[in-house]
Amino acid sequence: MSASEPLLRVEDLRVEFPGEDGVVYAVDGITYEVHSGRTLGIVGESGSGKTVSSLTTLGLTRRQGARISGRILFEGEDLVALPEDRLRAIRGNDIAMVFQDPLSSLHPLYRVGAQIVQAVRAHRDVSKAQARERAIELLGLVGIPDPARRIDEYPHEFSGGMRQRAMIAMALVNEPKLLIADEPTTALDVTVQAQILALMERLQRELGMAIVIITHDLGVVAEMADEIAVMYAGRIVETASTARLFSAPEHPYTWGLLKSIPRLDAPREEDLVPIPGTPPSLINRPPGCHFHPRCPYAQPDHARIDPRLEPVSDEPGHHVACLLEADVRRRLWAHLRAGGTPEQALAAVGLPGAPV
Amino acid sequence: MIRYIIRRLLWGVLLLIVVAALMFVLFRILPTGNPALLRAGRDPQPKLVKEIEVVLGLNKSLPTQFWDYLKEVFLHFKFGYSYYNQEEVRSLIAERLPATLSLTIGAALLWIVGGLGVGVISALRRHSLLDRFAMGTALVLISAPEFWLGLVFLYLFASDIGIVKILPGAGSYAGLTSDPWKWFTSLIMPWIVLASGSAAVFARLMRSSLGEAMKEDYIRTARAKGLPERHVARQGVRAAINPIVTLFGLEVGALLGGAILVEYVFNIPGIGELNYKAIQSSDFPVTQGTVLLASMFIILANIVVDVAYAYLDPRVRYS
Amino acid sequence: MRSHKTIAAGVLAAALASTLAACGSSSSSSSSGTTASASSNGASSVVPAGYQSTVNESLAGKRGGTLQVLQESDFEHLDPGISYFALDYTVVFATQRPLYSNEPNSTAPTPDIASGSPEVSANNETVTVHLKEGIHFSPPVNREVTSADVAYAIERGANPNVANPYLTTYFDSIEGVPQAKGGPIKGIETPNKHEIVFHLTEPKGFFVAEALVLPLTAPVPKEYAEKFDNNKPSNYADYEVATGPYMLENNAQGKVLGIGYVPGKSATLVRNPNWSDKTDFRPAYLNEIDIKIGGSQPVIDRQVLEGTNVVQNEPVAQPAVQLAAEHYKSQMVLSPGGGNRYVSLDNKVGPFSNIDLRKAVWAELDRAALDRARGGDLVATVASHFIYPTIPGFEQAGSLTGPKGLDYNEHPEGDMTIAEKYMKLAGYSSGKYTGSSTIQVVGASSPPEKEDAEIVNQALKSLGFNTKLTLVELATMYAKYCDVPKEEIDVCPTVGWIADFADPQTVLNPTFNGKSIVATGNVNYGQVNVPTLNAAMAAAEVVKGREARAKAWGKIDDEIVEDAAAIPYDWETSPRLEGSDVHGVGMLWNEGCWDYSFTSLK
Repeated sequence: MSASEPLLRVEDLRVEFPGEDGVVYAVDGITYEVHSGRTLGIVGESGSGKTVSSLTTLGLTRRQGARISGRILFEGEDLVALPEDRLRAIRGNDIAMVFQDPLSSLHPLYRVGAQIVQAVRAHRDVSKAQARERAIELLGLVGIPDPARRIDEYPHEFSGGMRQRAMIAMALVNEPKLLIADEPTTALDVTVQAQILALMERLQRELGMAIVIITHDLGVVAEMADEIAVMYAGRIVETASTARLFSAPEHPYTWGLLKSIPRLDAPREEDLVPIPGTPPSLINRPPGCHFHPRCPYAQPDHARIDPRLEPVSDEPGHHVACLLEADVRRRLWAHLRAGGTPEQALAAVGLPGAPV
Repeated sequence: MIRYIIRRLLWGVLLLIVVAALMFVLFRILPTGNPALLRAGRDPQPKLVKEIEVVLGLNKSLPTQFWDYLKEVFLHFKFGYSYYNQEEVRSLIAERLPATLSLTIGAALLWIVGGLGVGVISALRRHSLLDRFAMGTALVLISAPEFWLGLVFLYLFASDIGIVKILPGAGSYAGLTSDPWKWFTSLIMPWIVLASGSAAVFARLMRSSLGEAMKEDYIRTARAKGLPERHVARQGVRAAINPIVTLFGLEVGALLGGAILVEYVFNIPGIGELNYKAIQSSDFPVTQGTVLLASMFIILANIVVDVAYAYLDPRVRYS
Repeated sequence: MRSHKTIAAGVLAAALASTLAACGSSSSSSSSGTTASASSNGASSVVPAGYQSTVNESLAGKRGGTLQVLQESDFEHLDPGISYFALDYTVVFATQRPLYSNEPNSTAPTPDIASGSPEVSANNETVTVHLKEGIHFSPPVNREVTSADVAYAIERGANPNVANPYLTTYFDSIEGVPQAKGGPIKGIETPNKHEIVFHLTEPKGFFVAEALVLPLTAPVPKEYAEKFDNNKPSNYADYEVATGPYMLENNAQGKVLGIGYVPGKSATLVRNPNWSDKTDFRPAYLNEIDIKIGGSQPVIDRQVLEGTNVVQNEPVAQPAVQLAAEHYKSQMVLSPGGGNRYVSLDNKVGPFSNIDLRKAVWAELDRAALDRARGGDLVATVASHFIYPTIPGFEQAGSLTGPKGLDYNEHPEGDMTIAEKYMKLAGYSSGKYTGSSTIQVVGASSPPEKEDAEIVNQALKSLGFNTKLTLVELATMYAKYCDVPKEEIDVCPTVGWIADFADPQTVLNPTFNGKSIVATGNVNYGQVNVPTLNAAMAAAEVVKGREARAKAWGKIDDEIVEDAAAIPYDWETSPRLEGSDVHGVGMLWNEGCWDYSFTSLK
């Protein structure tokens, strides 16, 4: 059961990086919540700001000269305002992070066990031997066979999947309340992916922790997440429960994502519909709705008005940031869902074509 | 690993034989080379020159001379006699080796500690005043010729000719066993002069190597684990140090063959000085011996560095 | 003797006030015999005014003490049967006593092992020398020196394992020497223990007698040295015994190597317990001489100037010469007789086989500039002929100004008008060379030879010659180019010569006699081969008496100048430095090197 108070609440977070070519607006005012025992999936393309927002949670963007505003509340404390040494006590302890490529994210010249032991002794006053025991325990917990022997091996001696398990073990060794997993399965084979995801779910049940899983892969969040936030160009464009997002998405970007996934139950003649264009520059962003240049349904004044994240009428927990009217959106989706192309849906609904 | 080392050593021996052969050929084709000519005085009569050549064994064919030399080396471990004072080459070298070792090892320690220390601090405090000052000084030291730097030190600090007479002057080197304090104080300036250029190079290297390492993903992970920054830096140094170890080993290997300029300015009776004087007077056997010694050190240094690298980087072992 | 390569540091400013006036007028010449007193002034050639001779007893310092010598170069040969470098002589002449040697400020021979002057027969074919009694070898040999020891010393010079460089040049006329291989020589007779007679096959007795100052005649005990002389090459030097006031420190078996001489590191001279000042003209004040080998000359020079009980004994680096002249005047001695320096021109092949072209270059060349590049007045005097101060024949050849009436030799700074006159005489009516040959000029790349080569090169160019200037390392310049006739190098701007002993034949014969030309190691650099000159030299070889020889060879010097065979430009002065409490006495006859047997501490 989730507590009614969120474990982590991100409020209007903005992260900017001053650079040579101009300011990079990586995160442009996002708000979301995570509850204990539940999984939030953050979905988006590269450059959507999903990684920066989670790194900022742990204060790992401070060194790069980021300008951070907004609040990140964790158990009542605002992590944005927290001094470095307090934040350090939280990292790897209350909040842990798992990264995308375990081969580059683990130090190649230290044994796996030693790296885990480091993680333990940074936060617990125990002897090396005790920390080692704990490391072995965790390696067993994540399903690595013969952990007492493998603990003394180097990362390059592990297979890809086992490396990720080891990373997870290292992250969980201090029983964090929140685990942030940034693309944890992207570097792995499909079969191994499934294993890792299953592992994470099991551990979540056993340890009761919250998980934020960041990915560009809808299949992953479909599997694991309870709630999903869709990010585009530094903003959240839609949040909903997983079931709701897949059955009744409200944002054209989400429609695009869904329509570009191949489905086993779709007819063979039905084409995949990719989203045209490329993600925008985060330095010179499109005015108004950031998505409008790529949106098949955009109207002229969408280039002037900033959409805000607003609740969807009859659904608690479902929010969308779109300037189209609600029923227009529903009718568009109905057509798309039935297999129509965006042009067909446009025509059927009677909207003028978008300035592409 | 043992087999690997043995194989490398055998190749090393082969390489030394090639070096010796090259030296033989080089000496004969150098125009100032003929020691018989030098021995025969300023107005050398051809007959006299021929006689001396016979005595020195230079009239035999090159391959014969070379073969004789190899036999002496491998069967008796003898490297011939100096043309000038008939002292055995190997005892000449053995006598001078301790001085060169003292000089090289002391300087190496100084530059490793100094150079890496400065480099680490510079990398971690990039673009700070300290960093700029350190890198600027490094540039000056790299550019300063050893000979000049040595003279500057002597004219500043030598007890006989310096302005501030605090350190022993040129020529005061004493062996470690005969006078440890003198040994130490007479080597302070030579150590600094010899180390300065290398320390500066290493500082710059470490700065860039560590700077790169600190951008790697595993450093991000270390921070994400909540490690204190100095532990994070230590992980960076651990990764950054590998290319430097290679360079360090090779430099030390090269210096063990004798740091000619420093030995010359400070009058330290080492291999470098021996080598230089032998070359000037076309004393082939001595030059041959010192060059072989220097080559041997370099070969050994290469082997040590390769083994050390495998030890330092576990990824290399299995390839 | 050979001068050492210097490690000169560069061209310096023009001359400062020198401690040395220009070479003064001549003093009296002496006969071939001299007395054995310590204060003899047997100098027969010019000793410039101002040169301090400190042989006078009243100027000497105390008895005893240890002198430190800082020496950059190692010794080449300490075996008296081989040595010929000036630096080697500093030790050899303190430990070995030849038949004759020189007092510090003299270039005339003084009897050493000999008891009196050599007796040369009327037909100039026999030389008889009587030996002193009561001279002993140092430990471990200890016994008295006999004539057989002198005979063996010379005989071993013919042994290929020893290979004395001078035997052939100076003693070939002794019967049996050309065929000798180390065994007894027919022409050396020892009628009794204190008499030695040389029988010659040619009438060169006087000259051979003069050559007896060479260390080759220092006695060597055969029964002790033979076993060393059988090694290839001989290692007698590692065990050598002494007859002089000092000896190289050795152990009970006589081993010097590693004890009294540690190659590359040090040499230690201690008193020879078997030496007696009653049989020697040397006072031998010092108790010990510690020679420290190694280091760099600039540092050594400074250490000596600022130190006590210490000297250096090699050519002084230029900056130190200037420094000493300004601030440490009393600690530097500038000794004349450092040899000559000249531009050699290929007389045999190429444009300079034409005498008028040679005279043209001579006339045009600014010899004063060449000397300034070498350090100016302190160390260089403009030369007008080849026999240099301290060698008999210097005055006879014309002293400072040289032979009279040669217009090309009268303007040390060069005179273009006269040069053009000779160019026209050579057939170039415009006064400039218009031929097609390119002149090969080879000099050394280190200063001051580099600057001198460039000055000569410029002079050639201004006469219209096309030149190709090659600068190489000094030793290479000799070994590969200037010493090799086959290379046909037209101009070698910085060659020089120094006498083996104070007889003018040793200055002119190897360098200008056509018979001296050899295929490699040739020191008649210009391949000068004038039949009349050769004949004159052959005749002068057999002249008896120092006066007569000085006259004969002085004349030959002038004839060489009249032939413009080469262009002399420098008579060198050798500087040496001493610590502030040292009473240094220099060997006038050996580049001014400090004489350890006469030097004392204040």
